[in-house]
Amino acid sequence: MVNLNMENKLKRYEKIEFLGEGQFATVYKARDVETENIVAVKKIKIGSRQEAQDGINRTALREIKLLQELHHKNLIGLLDVFGHMSNVSLVFDFMDTDLEVIIKDNTIILTTANIKSYMLQTLHGLEYLHLNWILHRDLKPNNLLVNSSGILKIGDFGLAKLYGSPNRINTHQVVTRWYRAPELLYGAKQYSTSIDMWAVGCILAELLLRLPLFPGESDLDQLTKIFGVFGNPTEDNWPGVKSLSDYMEFKPFTPIPLKSIFTAAGDDLLDLIESLLVLNPIKRRECSQCLQMPFFSNKPAPTLGSKLPLPQSVRKIRDIEKPSLKRKLLEAAEGGTLSKRLFF
Amino acid sequence: MKDVIDVMELQREKTRKNPQLDYKKLDFNNGFTPARFIFECGMKLNGQPLTLATASVVMHRFFREVDPSNYDCYLIAASSLYLAGKVKDDPLKIRDIINVSHNTLHRGSSPLEIGDEYWNMRDAIVQAELLIMRVLKFEVGTTHPHKYMLHYLRSMEGWLGKEQWETIPIARASAAFLQDFHHDPSILDYNPRHLAIACISLALQCYGVQLPLIEDTDDEAWYNVFVKDLPKDKHWEIMEKIMETYNKEPGSP
Repeated sequence: MVNLNMENKLKRYEKIEFLGEGQFATVYKARDVETENIVAVKKIKIGSRQEAQDGINRTALREIKLLQELHHKNLIGLLDVFGHMSNVSLVFDFMDTDLEVIIKDNTIILTTANIKSYMLQTLHGLEYLHLNWILHRDLKPNNLLVNSSGILKIGDFGLAKLYGSPNRINTHQVVTRWYRAPELLYGAKQYSTSIDMWAVGCILAELLLRLPLFPGESDLDQLTKIFGVFGNPTEDNWPGVKSLSDYMEFKPFTPIPLKSIFTAAGDDLLDLIESLLVLNPIKRRECSQCLQMPFFSNKPAPTLGSKLPLPQSVRKIRDIEKPSLKRKLLEAAEGGTLSKRLFF
Repeated sequence: MKDVIDVMELQREKTRKNPQLDYKKLDFNNGFTPARFIFECGMKLNGQPLTLATASVVMHRFFREVDPSNYDCYLIAASSLYLAGKVKDDPLKIRDIINVSHNTLHRGSSPLEIGDEYWNMRDAIVQAELLIMRVLKFEVGTTHPHKYMLHYLRSMEGWLGKEQWETIPIARASAAFLQDFHHDPSILDYNPRHLAIACISLALQCYGVQLPLIEDTDDEAWYNVFVKDLPKDKHWEIMEKIMETYNKEPGSP
């Protein structure tokens, strides 16, 4: 019975192309022949006996366990899980691109309306996650996936974890360094949703600057960069900071006004950044509070999903897939898009 | 001298409560035996109570889907423990699981040397883990009655009054009933909130505790403040099932 099922699953997802390879998994783009949807199949590598196999990968198990119970427009959907031989494969919504690609693509202009749309979607997804007592613990532009209809979904739940148990000790070695909150860098083992909020603040800053706000080269350099903007933490602005296990004093920094870093940002947007990037984790605002801030109700209205810009790579594929009459006409009029670029 | 712990009495009580079972002589016993094995090994491994509860639920669910005679129930039990550790982020090391299960099955034997036998066991546990995952259709999350029970008990603390609460071990007994009921596959058949209520009810009955300011009538029970959808007959049914579990213990009269 069981085996028969698996055979069907193998046939159900037709491989289209190879998308990428990580430490624990290979990802393919595939077509679901039952629904005709395009999906992403993540095949988890299971170590061989020689590599002292530990069975099903914990990261994969976390994704399976958490995503089976979570359903939100702005969270990546786990559509199916199946096993074949000694492999486990996870089937996800197919996403065309991610915020990292969008930020780095300098043919894209990120207007306030675009940024508002990305932030709204991120905060909605994260709010749902936090309301379900789950921390993501690895938010970064690369994990905010965007599809060609402009829907943003939070992805990669390999580090996500339930929070709220008062006696639970967590590891502070989470979150990619540039997005890691100061309390984690100081070795906090009990933390909460505020670590995700800090990461959201860093992502928002990056959407504006088109470069990471705090590209630390080491954990210490990371703190130096953070204090270089906000000044040093004190027992006044962050009570208890000195009792964190890895606390240390840094040379004194003078805070820089955010206005001089984000020169193009309006006051309402600066307010949002200021309420996310607060040294003291308790003072950092939660998703629901952020969503109530004037920035989201002020003009301009967030860009509609279908109107959000797509990176060059995705645009090209789309054009190849659907060569429209309009494009052909344009090409004819302009002598083709390719000839306008110089190749060396 | 009430505060002095009578060590001898504790010892006697301990051996009486936990007879050393020779698992090799036991049969599947409708899932009781592998569950007993999970709890014994899990406690030796210092697993969290919820990890052990998850392991036993996983094991019972697995044996519902397959013919138990086709599988070694101790292998499935050890593998369920391993999987539960991952599910609950309470990592139990595979090496420890192998050592503890080996020693529990072959009491008094020395730990396995790293050799063919060890590697075969490790291989078997990992393969069984994947098999379990597949049989359970990768649905390994469980809603435990524990969190409901904690919440109900917390509310009852004020209801009963501090004095009674501190002298009568209602919470302790309820928790024990809940854990022990995980030996029986019928734990899968009931709503977690109902299970929590039934365990507390049984504890109240055992100690003859009456909740103040409320009268049990035909259409109103004490637990209606917590759950609205538990009919009285079902409530009794669960309590009976919990009590029956104690007759399944090997060597019980």
